[in-house]
Amino acid sequence: MKAVSIYTLSTCPWCRKTKKFFAEHNIPYTYIDYDLADQATQNRISQELDAAGATGFPFVKIGDEVISGYQPALYSSLLNL
Amino acid sequence: MSDKFVRAIRIDEIAPGGMKTVEIDGREIVICNSGGAYYAVQRRCGHMNAALELGTLDGQYLTCGMHCAQFDIVTGQALSGPVPADLGNESPPPKLAEFLQHAGMQMKHVRTESIRTYETKLEAGWVLVAP
Amino acid sequence: MDAESRKKALHYFFDKVVDPLGFKFTPDVELMDFLLEQEVMLEGKHGIPFCPCQPLRHDRARDMQIVCPCIPFHRKHFDAIRRCWCGLFVHKDVIDPDSLPQLSPKDVGLE
Repeated sequence: MKAVSIYTLSTCPWCRKTKKFFAEHNIPYTYIDYDLADQATQNRISQELDAAGATGFPFVKIGDEVISGYQPALYSSLLNL
Repeated sequence: MSDKFVRAIRIDEIAPGGMKTVEIDGREIVICNSGGAYYAVQRRCGHMNAALELGTLDGQYLTCGMHCAQFDIVTGQALSGPVPADLGNESPPPKLAEFLQHAGMQMKHVRTESIRTYETKLEAGWVLVAP
Repeated sequence: MDAESRKKALHYFFDKVVDPLGFKFTPDVELMDFLLEQEVMLEGKHGIPFCPCQPLRHDRARDMQIVCPCIPFHRKHFDAIRRCWCGLFVHKDVIDPDSLPQLSPKDVGLE
């Protein structure tokens, strides 16, 4: 099963929906709330977003795929749900 | 309603969106014309005492010109505190840097308090204020 | 500082900015309320109402681009997806905001 990890903001409702999506489909995931992370982690995540051309959260990694934004249909298709 | 109303300004002295300071009973008061309705608030900003008539009035919202704290002139309520200034990317000269650091350290503890409002009424072409 | 009063004031100011850009507040009142509340919190913390769904880069020039309403800085992107990133604002003709997916610039063929 593909590994799922997400970057989120504690203030973002779409990030909550993203976490809820994976929880409801029993998909294990790891996450980092960017705004609650230390400066070094923020810098790293910031660079990752820039490299992927992403401007906001949620930032979802499913296996090698990167999805910017709350896109449940895409998550489902990548996880064969 | 207070019975101590005093003439502050003539009705045609400030246009909608405008503000003017008057002194009544030793108090500095800003008269605001909000879309034709008149309100009166203390002159001193609830943040760091800047003169509020030097700010901007939009509807019932007054933004202080010094650090952009915002107030509701109807209730006097403080709505937001100061906006951090843009000091640019260059390093300031040492004495200025020291001053800015000291000022910043002091300012970060300053709360933005609500401001006092005063009753107003219109009479015979004048805006009256109860100080 | 009372959050409800601040939300009301932000609504007043933002409306005047987004209207000439062809946007309006989302008809999803619950979402709007939640986002404005987050912005009030962020403003209390940073002194500026930042977007609740975009990262602060701690670089003034970049951070100014996510001050709400940030539509002017993301015009092509937001016009393409007919909403702003966090969904607080949508194109004026949008009745069903749930139908607008949250697509990145790349997803819509930009930059």
